Amino acid sequence: MKALTFTLRETPPERLDLSPLTPEKLASVDKREIGKIRLGMSKRGLTVSDLFKVSGSDLKTIVFEGGSERFDRVGTGLVDGTIRVVGDVGAQAGRQMRAGLITIEGNAGPHAGSCMRGGRLEIMGNAGDHLGGPLAGELAGMNGGVMIVRGRAGAFAGDRMRRGVAAVLKGCGEYAGGRMIAGTLVVTGGVGRLPGYLMRRGSILLDRAPQELSPSFVECGAPDSSFAAVMDRYLVADGILKRPLLGKAPGKFGGDNAVFGTGEILFRR
Amino acid sequence: MLTRIKGGEIVDPVNGRLGKGDLWIEDEAIVEAPAGRRADRTIDATGCVVMAGAIDIHSHIGGGNVNTARLLLPEHHAAHAQRPAETPLSNAGWSTFQTGCLYAKMGFTTVVEPAMSPGSALHTHLELADIPIIDKATLAILGNDDFLLSMIRDKASSQMIEDYVAWTVGSSRALGVKVINAGAAAAFKENVRTFSLDDVVPSYGVSSRKIVKTLQAAVTTLGIPHPLHVHCNNLGAPGAADTAAATIAAAEGVPLHLAHLQFYGYGTEGKRRFSSEGARLAELVNSTPEVTIDIGQVMFGQTVTISSDVMRQFTSRGTASPKKTVIFDGDGNGGGIVPYRYRDDFYGSVQWAIGLELFLLINDPWRVFFTTDHPNGAPFTAYPDLFALLMSRDARNAAAANLSQKALALSTLGSIDREYTFEEIAIMTRAAPAKLLGLKDRGHLGAGALADVAVYRKGKDIAQMFREAAFVIKNGDVVVEDGAIKNYRWGRALRLNPPPDKAMVRRLEAYYQERYGLSLDWFDFPDSAIRRDEPFGEVSCNA
Repeated sequence: MKALTFTLRETPPERLDLSPLTPEKLASVDKREIGKIRLGMSKRGLTVSDLFKVSGSDLKTIVFEGGSERFDRVGTGLVDGTIRVVGDVGAQAGRQMRAGLITIEGNAGPHAGSCMRGGRLEIMGNAGDHLGGPLAGELAGMNGGVMIVRGRAGAFAGDRMRRGVAAVLKGCGEYAGGRMIAGTLVVTGGVGRLPGYLMRRGSILLDRAPQELSPSFVECGAPDSSFAAVMDRYLVADGILKRPLLGKAPGKFGGDNAVFGTGEILFRR
Repeated sequence: MLTRIKGGEIVDPVNGRLGKGDLWIEDEAIVEAPAGRRADRTIDATGCVVMAGAIDIHSHIGGGNVNTARLLLPEHHAAHAQRPAETPLSNAGWSTFQTGCLYAKMGFTTVVEPAMSPGSALHTHLELADIPIIDKATLAILGNDDFLLSMIRDKASSQMIEDYVAWTVGSSRALGVKVINAGAAAAFKENVRTFSLDDVVPSYGVSSRKIVKTLQAAVTTLGIPHPLHVHCNNLGAPGAADTAAATIAAAEGVPLHLAHLQFYGYGTEGKRRFSSEGARLAELVNSTPEVTIDIGQVMFGQTVTISSDVMRQFTSRGTASPKKTVIFDGDGNGGGIVPYRYRDDFYGSVQWAIGLELFLLINDPWRVFFTTDHPNGAPFTAYPDLFALLMSRDARNAAAANLSQKALALSTLGSIDREYTFEEIAIMTRAAPAKLLGLKDRGHLGAGALADVAVYRKGKDIAQMFREAAFVIKNGDVVVEDGAIKNYRWGRALRLNPPPDKAMVRRLEAYYQERYGLSLDWFDFPDSAIRRDEPFGEVSCNA
């Protein structure tokens, strides 16, 4: 069976809510009704057939041929199957996904992987601010699963992260792992100001010493860490990194003592 | 314009009118059937019950704390997109616009915000002025403010205290006075964490009882129609029934209103030391004719508790769901916002049963008022379901079957057969509130009354009947038809206007200058600050 493919006709004239186009939600829609699903966020009422040419029938594998920074909420609440976007996406890609695989071949907007609980989200380009972070009022951000950004991420990557692994490979903005509750955030390529700001627990793994830390972090020397070795092996085995990140006896800062203070920032010395 | 509501079953206990008949309305008022004139508009009410517009005496719909609750829980009023039904807390809070519409759809035409901090009166009235359709009113909070406590400590004359209460009610445009856990918020600032009726506020040497009695006397002497509205000490604590009983006894023959009595109906029996004292409190209310109460019924689901009882809210931080709170240890009362989910477990079931026991065991519908203490016990949208529970024993038994039987065994609810009649509902939600608040122009359908009318289509499903009124008329305008809003209009805020005493104004000016370096003008405002043609409706004090 060929993948269910949505081929974009032209750049959409308004923001789109693509959350109805997941395997689970489409399973209860008659094949002929798919074209009538409303995606536009304005009163214009754009539908699937206004925007896309639809082909294929395998609901478990969805492909968007062509993307746009106006593609919001791609793969929201995904529980099974795969979604691949050949192009960019907008805000909240993979929000609250629980399982399955989402691949974005271009760039993603803010709140990518927001509050995801499981599965795998891979962004080949850059991601916006608040990677994995919660929306206003929510208490925890990323809560499980694996998220990989092959490019750069904006500010507040891993905001309020609680579980899972998030990796950013070409550096990220300020406040990486800010207000982290637990979980693991990996950043290569440098972080901006104040990584781990107000982190309670959790680990932030870096390929170099952080430039500017909150004064409530404490230098902890370079203690032996079997966790570092386990994590290094995992990152390589999973194809996230090509070579080990931390190496032997990585440096460590403990914090943030302004809050709970049992978090750590490990970095290659 | 002359309107005739034709062929409905009229329920107007005040004027003794029960049974099929027509109701005539001319412009804003109800009139006698005019001889020899034809109606300009006829509303067919065949198969419907016709009552006066309902009045809610205790519902937190505006003001600083309500707004703080909105800020604490942004996830349930996402303004940028239509809210999906499954959003957490989607039933727990609304914009001012929705508040007015949802109340009107249920046939409510007057709602009282019972906890306005006098210092945020302007904010509260601006917010209330933004609620469409219905009329509003507020109660001003006193009893934890330094000015009053100092006066009581210094044995100021009762005349002076009355002048202060009158100035507060007048300048804050309130319809009455509320005291919230008298003295506890002041004691809280001295690190006191439990406070009962005979406990003394540190630094002032004034007991909670003394504050309540002082305010009760001032309210009575000033002729404020609504008796002092008391939120007792120890809200929500097991054993609070003793505190409520002591407060009821403290009325001593003078009118007193006890708010959300359900939250005090907790005994300490059983394995979990949490049981129902509903029957005992109901008996006390029955035998104390000067006391009126409202219930604060608990209904299950997500809500958010909003209270100026800062001590209580501080204590209940640990039960917050979702886990976030705002506690504001401010001047006067302060306040606290604690989101909460009422579950149908043992504790929730006990609370649910106590509210219903109070409703059903208090015999006089003129002295028991229909509230959920919105949003503290449940959002006001739960009212239709609550009407069904009161009017149908079968509905009650069906609901009870799904709850904790161990909890219900500790209450008398199962043995109560009473069912409310339409007449009793009309008294409890129309006639009695109007009398309690001193609103002579509403709550009944006699000639001369304001044309606030609710018409409900009778059906098997009582909840559905009250959820979507067939017609609602506010000041002679048809605002709701078949459960949908047809016409928007702006209501007024009802207020008292006792004249300020000049010496008291000078004293207060000096006080605010000395303590805060602020002019008294910060605590008063001109009516023109509220951008409506007629923002306020004046209610007269008793002679």
